[in-house]
Amino acid sequence: MRIEARHKNDIVIFDLEGEIKRSDITDVTLHQLVKEQLDSGKRKIILNFDAVEFIDSFGVGEILASYISTHNLGGKLKLVKISKKLFLIFQVTMLTKVLDIYEEEETALKSFF
Amino acid sequence: MAKNRLRSVLSRVVDIKPGEEVIAIFLFLYFFFITSPYYIIKSLRNASYLSGLGDEKLPLAYFLTAILMGFIVTFHSRIQVRLPRSRLIIFSLAFFFSNIILFWWLFEQGWKWVPVAFWVWANIFAIVLVTQFWILVNDVFNPREAKRMIGFIGSGAQLGAILGGVLAGVLARKAPQLLLPLAAGMLGLGIVVVSAIFKRRGQKSEEINREARDNLVGSNKVGFRDAFETTRQSPYLLLLAGIMMATLVVSTLIDWQFNSIVSSKVEGESNLASFFGYFNAGTMFFAFLFQLLLTSPIIKAFRIRGALLFYPLILFLGTGGIGLAALAGIIPLVPAILIKASDKGLAYSLNQSVRELLYIPISPEQKYKSKIFIDMFLNRFAKGLGAIILAVLLWLVPRAPGPQGGQGAIRYISLIVLAIIAVWVFLNFRIGREYGNLVKGKLKKQYERGDLLVDQRLDVDFTKLVFDTLESKNRSSVLYSMNLFDLIRQDKLTPEVRKLISYRTDEIRAASLGGMFEQTETGLGPKTEDELSEDVLKKEVQEIMNLDVYQDVMKDYLEKTLADRSAGAEVARMEAAKAIGFMGSRAPLVGKLEDLLEDGSPEVSRYAIQSAAALKRRVDVPVLVQKLKSPALREDAMDALRKFGPRIAGTMSDYLADRGEDTELRKTAAVILASIGTQEAADYLSWELTGAGDALVNEIIDALDRIRTADSRIRFPGETIRVTISKETRLYCQDLVDLHNGSQPLEENASRRREKRLSDRLWNIFKLLGLIYPQEDMIKAYQNLKVGTKNSVAYSLELLDNILERDIRDIIFPVVEDLPLEEKVKRCRNLLAGFGGGKDRDG
Repeated sequence: MRIEARHKNDIVIFDLEGEIKRSDITDVTLHQLVKEQLDSGKRKIILNFDAVEFIDSFGVGEILASYISTHNLGGKLKLVKISKKLFLIFQVTMLTKVLDIYEEEETALKSFF
Repeated sequence: MAKNRLRSVLSRVVDIKPGEEVIAIFLFLYFFFITSPYYIIKSLRNASYLSGLGDEKLPLAYFLTAILMGFIVTFHSRIQVRLPRSRLIIFSLAFFFSNIILFWWLFEQGWKWVPVAFWVWANIFAIVLVTQFWILVNDVFNPREAKRMIGFIGSGAQLGAILGGVLAGVLARKAPQLLLPLAAGMLGLGIVVVSAIFKRRGQKSEEINREARDNLVGSNKVGFRDAFETTRQSPYLLLLAGIMMATLVVSTLIDWQFNSIVSSKVEGESNLASFFGYFNAGTMFFAFLFQLLLTSPIIKAFRIRGALLFYPLILFLGTGGIGLAALAGIIPLVPAILIKASDKGLAYSLNQSVRELLYIPISPEQKYKSKIFIDMFLNRFAKGLGAIILAVLLWLVPRAPGPQGGQGAIRYISLIVLAIIAVWVFLNFRIGREYGNLVKGKLKKQYERGDLLVDQRLDVDFTKLVFDTLESKNRSSVLYSMNLFDLIRQDKLTPEVRKLISYRTDEIRAASLGGMFEQTETGLGPKTEDELSEDVLKKEVQEIMNLDVYQDVMKDYLEKTLADRSAGAEVARMEAAKAIGFMGSRAPLVGKLEDLLEDGSPEVSRYAIQSAAALKRRVDVPVLVQKLKSPALREDAMDALRKFGPRIAGTMSDYLADRGEDTELRKTAAVILASIGTQEAADYLSWELTGAGDALVNEIIDALDRIRTADSRIRFPGETIRVTISKETRLYCQDLVDLHNGSQPLEENASRRREKRLSDRLWNIFKLLGLIYPQEDMIKAYQNLKVGTKNSVAYSLELLDNILERDIRDIIFPVVEDLPLEEKVKRCRNLLAGFGGGKDRDG
C-alpha cells in the first residue's frame, strides 16, 4: 500500500493506492498518518480510494480508527471514490449511516464549506 | 317389519347389521344343505369301506383320492374361468345330485369296487362343494363382516352334519336304502337356496366374479400349474399351504387311529354305519355349539393369531394322552372318541372359520387360484401323504393278531402327530404375523398430512426473509442490502431468488448491494470488476462488525437512533435491529437489542426478534416468551425460540406447566417443545398431558405427534398415553351422546362446533395411538376410516383389531366401528356407564 498526502487549503487529501490489508502492513499505517495530520492541527481530511485495489476488514478498521480520531478532535473525515464492493460492505455494516462518502473529490471538498 | 323381527332374532346369536339378515340366512342354509347330505354319505362311505375292505386298506383310499384330486383341480380351474360363479356352483350341485342317484343304483348291484369308488367320490363331493361355498363367502364379505358372521354361517354346516349324522344313525339300521335318496333330496334343496342367493346378490357377486375371472383368463395359463405357481410365489400362501398340509396329515393319522380303534370294538356293517352316524352327529353337535357360541368370541378375544393356536394345542394334548395310554398297553376307545370328536369338531368350526378368514385379505385372483390348489388338491394330497406315512409305519410296525394288535402303530403315530403339530404351531405363529402385514398392505395412505407437508416443504424463515427483502426495497437501501446479505449469509440467495428480487429494481438498485448482485448475476447490468465473492463478503462483514473500533463508531449512532422516537426514525431502528443480528453475541452493541425487542413498533420488534434468534442469547428468552402473547409477533417469537433448540426445553416446559400463564403462550410453548423434538421435550409434554384441559390438549397431543413423526426413536410413557386415549374416547362419547340427545336438539352453530370437536377428538385418539403403536399404521387406519367406504373401514378396523391391545381395543372400538348412529350412541352410553360417566376435563 502506498499513501500520498496532498493539501488543498486546510484540507488534507490522502491518495491511497494498492491493497489495504492485514498481510501488507507498512511501517506507517493510515491511522498513524491521519493522526500525524490531526496532531499538526488539521481537522479536515479526505481519503481518496480511487487507486485502491483491495481492502479487507483490517483496512476498514484503519478507516474507522481514523474516523474516530478525527471525530474526537471535532474534525471531519470524508471518503471519496470508494469501490462498489466497499460501498456494499459499508451498507451491510450500516457504516454508510456514519461515514461521509462521496463519489467525486470535488463534491467532498465542497462539503467542508 | 319382518326383516326387523328376523334381525332381532338373529342378533341374539350373531352380530348382524341391517341389510345382512337375508344373505346370512341363505348362506347358512346353503352350507346346511351341502353338509347334511355329506354326513349321510360319509357314514355310508366309512361303513361300506371298513366292512368291505378293512382298515388296513384305508391308506389305499386316501391315496387314490389324493391322485384323483389333481385331475379334479385342473378340471375345476378350467371350468371356473369359463363359467360364471352361479352356473359353476349350480352345475356342480346338479352333477353331484345325479351322482348320488347313480351310486344308489350301483350299491344295489353289490359290486366290490363300488365302496372304493364311493369313498373317493364322497371326498371329492365334500371338497368341491365346500370349497365353492367358501369362495362365494369370500366374494360376498369383507374381513369384518366375515369375522362377525362366520360363526353363524359356519354353524349351518354343523347343524347339517348333525341332521345328516342322526338320519344316518337311525336309518342305517331301519331303512338303509333310503339314505342316498334322502341325501339327494337335501342337495336338491341346496340347489334351490343357491339359486336364490345368486338371484338376490347376482349383480355384485357377478361383478367381482367377472373381474376375478377376467384376471384369470387374462393370465393365459389357467390350470393346475398356474394354481400351484400362484401359491408357490407367495410366502403367505405357502404358509397357508403348509398349515393345511400339517392339519390334514395330522387329521388323517388321527382318523386312522380312531377308525382302527373303533373297528376293533364295533362289529358289522350296519352297526358301524349306525355308530359313525351317531358319532358324526354328536361330533357335529359339539362343533355346532362351539361354532355358534364360541368361534366368534374366541376370534374376537384372541384375534386370528391366538385363535389359530387352539386347535393344534388341543390335538397335541389329546394325542399325547392316547400315545401314553398305548404305551401303557391300553387301546382307549373313549379317549380316541374324544380326540376324534375334538379334531372334527374344531376342524369344522374354529379352524375352518379362521382359515377362511386368512384368505380374505388376499387379492381375488390369488384367492381363487390358490384356493382351488390348497383346498382341493393339497387337501387330498396331504391326506395322501398321511396315507403314505401310515403305510410305511404299518409296514415297519405290522399289526399283531388280536384286538389289541394296533397298539404299536398307535404309539408311533402319536409321536409323529406330536412332531407335526409342533411344526404346525410354528407355521401358525408365522402366518398370524403375515396376516397383519397383509391387512396393512390393503390399506393405502390416502393423503399426505397437510400440516407436516408445509413443515417439510416450506422453509418459513427463508420465505419470510425473501418477503422482508422485497419489502425493504422501498424502505431503505441499507435495510435492503442487509436482507440480501442475510440471504447470502444463509446460502439462500439462489438464482431463482435473485431473479425474484431483481424484479422491479428501479427504486434503489444503484445504491445497494442488491443492485450489485442484480447487475452481475442476473444479467440485468454489465459484469463489473468489483464482483465480490459471497464467501469473502460474509467473512469481511463478520470481521468488521466485531472490530472494537466498529463498535465504538456505531455506539453513538445507535444510541441516537434508539432514542429517536420520531415517525421517520422507525426504519433506522429496523436497520439497527437487523445489523445487531450480524454481530457476535458478545459484541458490546448487542446489548442494545433488549431495547429494540421492547420497541413500540412491531416492525422494529420483528427485526429485533430475528436478530435475537440469530444470536441465541439466553438473556433474551424471557422477552421473546412474552412476545408470544402478541398476535402480531407470535409467529416470529416462536420461530426465534425454536432456534434456541434443546437449551430452552426446560424453560418452555415451565411455561407450559404454569396454569396461571396466558393460554396462548402455553399453547405456543407446546409447539416450541415439538420443534425442539428431543426425548426431554417429549417427556415434558407427556407429563403435562394428563392434567391438560380442553384448551391445551389438542396442542400437546399434536406436539407429541410431531415429535413422533420427526423421530421414531423417541419413547412415550405408555400408561399416560393409554389414560389419555381412554379420556379422549370418553369425551368423544360424551360429545356424541350430547350431540344426538333427541330430547334437546342443539342449535345449528352449537351442533357444528360439537361435530368439529368430535372430529378433533377422533384425530387426537389416533395421534395418541400412533405414539405407542406403529404411527404409519395408525395414520393409515385413521385416513381409511375417514374415507368411509365399506372396505376401507373394514380393513382399518381389521388392522386396528390386529395391532391394538385388548384393553385399548375395547375402549376405542365403540367409537370407530362402522355402526349405525343409533347403535354407536348406544355403545357410547354403555362405555360412559362403564367409565362411571361424567366429564372430567375442565370440570
